[in-house]
Amino acid sequence: MAALSLKNIQKIYPHSGQSKPRKKKGEPEKKSNLQVTAQGVIAVQAFNLDIADKEFIVLVGPSGCGKSTTLRMVAGLEEISGGELYIDGKLMNDVEPKNRDIAMVFQSYALYPHMTVYENMAFPLKLRKAPKDEIDRRVKEAAAILDITQYLDRKPKALSGGQRQRVAIGRAIVREPKVLLMDEPLSNLDAKLRNQMRAEIIKLRQKINTTFMYVTHDQTEAMTLGDRIVIMKDGWIQQIGTPQEVFDHPANLFVAGFIGMPQMNFFDARLLCEGGKYSVSAGGCTVELSPEKQANLAAKKVPAQDITLGVRPSHMVLSGQHGNTLTAVVEVSELMGSEVHFHANAGGKDVVVIVPTMNADGGRVDSFRSGDKLNLTFSGSVCHIFGQDGKNLEF
Amino acid sequence: MQRVSKAAGRKAISGDLVFRIVNGLLLGLVALIVLYPLYFVIIASISSPEAVLAGKVVLFPVGVNFDGFRKILERSDIWRGYLNTIIYTVLTVILSLLVTVPAGWALSRKTLPGKKFWMMFFIIPMFFGGGLIPFYNVMSSLKLVNTMWAVILPSILSVWNLFMTKTFFETSIPDGLIEAAKIDGAGQFRVFTSVVLPLSKAIMAVMALYYAVGQWNSYFNAMIFLQDESLYPLQLVLKEILIASESTVGGSGETILEQFRLANQLKYVSVIVSSLPVLCLYPFVQKYFAQGVMIGSLKE
Ligand SMILES: Nc1ncnc2c1ncn2[C@@H]1O[C@H](COP(=O)(O)OP(=O)(O)OP(=O)(O)O)[C@@H](O)[C@H]1O
Ligand SMILES: [Mg+2]
Repeated sequence: MAALSLKNIQKIYPHSGQSKPRKKKGEPEKKSNLQVTAQGVIAVQAFNLDIADKEFIVLVGPSGCGKSTTLRMVAGLEEISGGELYIDGKLMNDVEPKNRDIAMVFQSYALYPHMTVYENMAFPLKLRKAPKDEIDRRVKEAAAILDITQYLDRKPKALSGGQRQRVAIGRAIVREPKVLLMDEPLSNLDAKLRNQMRAEIIKLRQKINTTFMYVTHDQTEAMTLGDRIVIMKDGWIQQIGTPQEVFDHPANLFVAGFIGMPQMNFFDARLLCEGGKYSVSAGGCTVELSPEKQANLAAKKVPAQDITLGVRPSHMVLSGQHGNTLTAVVEVSELMGSEVHFHANAGGKDVVVIVPTMNADGGRVDSFRSGDKLNLTFSGSVCHIFGQDGKNLEF
Repeated sequence: MQRVSKAAGRKAISGDLVFRIVNGLLLGLVALIVLYPLYFVIIASISSPEAVLAGKVVLFPVGVNFDGFRKILERSDIWRGYLNTIIYTVLTVILSLLVTVPAGWALSRKTLPGKKFWMMFFIIPMFFGGGLIPFYNVMSSLKLVNTMWAVILPSILSVWNLFMTKTFFETSIPDGLIEAAKIDGAGQFRVFTSVVLPLSKAIMAVMALYYAVGQWNSYFNAMIFLQDESLYPLQLVLKEILIASESTVGGSGETILEQFRLANQLKYVSVIVSSLPVLCLYPFVQKYFAQGVMIGSLKE
């Protein structure tokens, strides 16, 4: 139960002794696109985030983008190189992990192999000198919530992956910590178990009153679990918002491409501004933008320019007749029950189109074969306009 | 000959079979090379010395007698030597574990202040000793000469063992466990006692064995620093007995020849007397060598 505030947090991993001499002056060394300075590799920078009490925040991004590093700085396992971390208004930069009143669930579970499940869960309480009967009560409560009561006497090695993960979560929640940190807790589980545990975490959240900070590289987890999600890349925050916000209004090309399955389609296009009305034109298809987008662009006085246009596969519409449409040639069509996925080629660019198997009037659309032409269009309310620098022009 | 190899070739298992036979033969040979000397010592110790000297004892004892054992075991200084050695060994093991395990843990931590300095501090004496006379002077200034501490204290830290312990901690204790313990509320000391130590039984057992065997078999420091015979460890007592029986002409009616023969038998007997306890210790410690203590704690 706590509000968290991260102000301009930065993490620099110093160069290790060996790699320093290799570096030549003025030649930026690239390590997975992270910025490198004389002091070291910048794994996280300019991280600003205010987390409300009991909020569920998910950090998501590709491998190496600094999610774990950020979480570990909050936990106190990693020194904060710059900026300030406040928990409940108190500066925590130099506070020992044990005094931060946080708990953490590790990807590797990190259960104590020499202790039984019960002892594992009791350990944090014992260290806090809780009375015996209270320890017992709390461990049994947590075990009941997580449905692991029957395993309390077992050692971790006698448990399955999913059971171990429950124990790890149990050990984290017995203490009723202010903040519960989770670093890819489900990534070692198989797909089915992962879905099940994801649902359990949602339930768990309703049962315990804690602020959550959850790291994942899985966008489904991010979208389903988070009140707000933080999308990161190369140590920088790309966007912070509710799942709906980042899905509907991606701040830049990276977010647009990262969130959503299958990926958003991108076209080289042109933003036109005629008589105060904005429209976009891509491959012979000109569409007037929705009033909301018109207003956003007008407010920023965005000029006409070359843009990258983004349209999600399910927002592409099959048009009956040719004319004011994008033409794409079907390469593969996949029938997925109620919808069809077309993988097509529009002027050298790959396009994915998802359409319902049945039209509204009952006509079937799954008759397209490889090599057939699709006439595509889209609505002016669901397309995304990115400038040359990749930023969403509406922002 | 040819027919046999043809038949084997047809069955297509010949390669496997040949490998297993050759493998078995080689391993058997190695086992023989290791075991025969041990066996020989045992049969030689209960054979008549003449037969041993004449080379007649090869596979079975000849002229079985227990004179050597009787002669050694009826001496009271043997038993005192045993007791001394046991005391020295037990104390060495306890003290060495108290020193080696925490030091190994500290050295295995990346965050140890002055880690480079400490590594040098331990590595340099590993290669450059001060020499015997300075060593003696140090012990003498510390007033340790002719006390049991002169035998125990120099043995409680072997740099080699320290580095082995350090490597064990670096490779076998996952960082995740330590971090989990820190977050669960453990300080440095608590992490060590509640998480690290219980997971270090294997290395502690191995270290205990190494230090114990080292102390059990050692006699050099005792020889240099101990004058009082009542402090002699077993090895030193046995050495004295061997030397005495080889050099003195007995006054109890035994001939020189008899003395010489007995001395030869005593050699084998003393090997057995001194190494038997260590051999008995092995089976108890052995199970820790291969034990995978970490199974189940972390997902690899
Ligand atoms: N101890 C370290 N020393 C130097 N660089 C490090 C260190 N730890 C991490 N890094 C670098 O910092 C960057 C961010 O690492 P981090 O572990 O936070 O990534 P992540 O977003 O959690 O990725 P993943 O999804 O793979 O877990 C990586 O590029 C990594 O190489
Ligand atoms: Mg990570």
